[in-house]
Amino acid sequence: MTLPSPAISLDLINRHNQEPNRNRYESRYFWEELYPLLAAAGFSAIEIPYEPVWQFGGRSGVPFNRYCVNTKYGDAAGYRAKLAECGIARVAGITFDPNLFMRNDNLDFFFGASGHFAGEALAHAADLGADYFAISPSPFYGRVAQYHPDIESKRDLFAERTVALISGLAAKAEELGVSLVLRGEYWSLFGGDRQPPLLAALPASVKLDVDTANLFVAGISAGDFLRANIARVGCVHLTDSAFVDDGAVWQTANPEHPAGRATQVFRDPGTGAVDLAGIAKLLGQLGYTGPVTVSARQTRDPFRALLRIRALLNQIQN
Amino acid sequence: MSNIRYANMCHWKTIPYRQIGNFREFYYEDKTNSAYYSDWDSILKYQSALGFGGIEIAPWDLADILPLFGSPENFTAFAKERGVEVIGMFHGAHASHAADHFDEAVRAGREAVDTIVRFGGTYMNTCPTQNYFGTGPLTREEVQQCAKTMNAIGEYATDHGVKIGLHNEFFCAINRENHRELIESTDPKLVHYCIDTAQISIMGEDLLTFYSDYYDRISTFHLKDTASAKQPDAVRYAQDPEIADDGHRWFWEPGMGELDLKGLYRLLKEHRFTGWMSIEYDGSPDLLASMALTRYYLDNELRPIYD
Repeated sequence: MTLPSPAISLDLINRHNQEPNRNRYESRYFWEELYPLLAAAGFSAIEIPYEPVWQFGGRSGVPFNRYCVNTKYGDAAGYRAKLAECGIARVAGITFDPNLFMRNDNLDFFFGASGHFAGEALAHAADLGADYFAISPSPFYGRVAQYHPDIESKRDLFAERTVALISGLAAKAEELGVSLVLRGEYWSLFGGDRQPPLLAALPASVKLDVDTANLFVAGISAGDFLRANIARVGCVHLTDSAFVDDGAVWQTANPEHPAGRATQVFRDPGTGAVDLAGIAKLLGQLGYTGPVTVSARQTRDPFRALLRIRALLNQIQN
Repeated sequence: MSNIRYANMCHWKTIPYRQIGNFREFYYEDKTNSAYYSDWDSILKYQSALGFGGIEIAPWDLADILPLFGSPENFTAFAKERGVEVIGMFHGAHASHAADHFDEAVRAGREAVDTIVRFGGTYMNTCPTQNYFGTGPLTREEVQQCAKTMNAIGEYATDHGVKIGLHNEFFCAINRENHRELIESTDPKLVHYCIDTAQISIMGEDLLTFYSDYYDRISTFHLKDTASAKQPDAVRYAQDPEIADDGHRWFWEPGMGELDLKGLYRLLKEHRFTGWMSIEYDGSPDLLASMALTRYYLDNELRPIYD
């Protein structure tokens, strides 16, 4: 089958965790060398994780928010022109997660800061001509629980405020012509089988972002999920994993690094246990024509991951 | 007993595990060196093995350290078991020059002192304001306001057994033209100075002259080298100059740049400096290699001058 031409997420650059040579990731030159390599690997579209953190502390070489893009390129149009020059025709999507703002016991701070920066990220997505804006509806469950040990008794309140925040963003997204899609991370307050009630409370314009590795970790069949929800799927992330959370790792403060059993939760696509070829085939059978993005989050070698992904896509598409 | 004890300023990015019990299995997952940089157990052992008995943490480390260890005290105990103590924490006193931000700046400074005390540290190296770009030039009144804020934080710190040391960066609003004015406007009993050897040299100070002028205010050092001393205003006052677009490194391991660090050590000997000295490796592509190179240079070039 032929997938809609997949975009590649820039989250393949592991910019937050320690590893040799990671200092390069904070300089503009690194990214401007990367874009032509992505194009050489057959990708003409990228997804950008929106990360306000680079705005604080003068790290504007990382092009992951509006401040950084404006600082280095003048505006979004300047950045798009640079991408085009490097063989990247478009920004397919922007992702946003609010983990940065869960840092104290003040929910007003969390929702205020998350709303402000999510709004900025959405506007930036529109300026970049992105098809979708993928939002994580909560921080890590365990990070919430760290600052709000009584989160279980506050779930309804948290859900209510989340619905209000995302509904506001959804209205703005419609105005801007960007599709708002809801991520379903296994570590979320609204992940796995906790997602449907949230989705039901949101406007119909909010679609689902199906992430195959996140479903795998949560023990949910991606095939069944796609068949049941295809009408509301607005984006598909082809991601891989070999980890199933049969404990309660999803509830820990650092769920992508399970304490007690170190593992690379997100494997390079094609090296885990998710049947990505089968999922791609199913997408074709279901007539899905929306955005597809590949991601090598947590890769230990981004350039090997890039070629591993291309090798996998060549297999799937031929 | 040595007069100088050596620490590392923590420039590790997020270290996601306390200790990896299944190291071999983790390694075999993808057979890369990531396993070697993923737990505090290994990081602290590297420090200990290379003779760095202290670590100076940064406030941005807390969001990762606290969930992993549960409390500052737990991290300190874990480090101590591996031969490393927490000597203090860096602090950025945002907008300390703004009169209408005084209460907030002092509150944040006090909170940082409280955190350091919980880690068992005694140093709070403090950047007095944010970047020059968007803030500078400061008026004389703003410099005095900054001094007032530093004195207030310094008083609280002193009462809690912590020394605050002004720590200047080459791109901050306290810069070449008002750097010494700020130092001299603060109370020497409450506010000390941490010489970042590279930062003040890039800013335009002569390292040896500066140390000779202020040796009695110096609480500690961030020791690092540079090959880029005396940068012009256009560089220091630019937007976000700390991370250069083209990958140019402002900072190098001691001995890898152009500073007269041997001259500095002769002055340390003359003035009988005692205390902790942090080595800083910002900009290094390989913190472990930098740590080992530094240990060699210390043992073979600097410690023979003054230890």
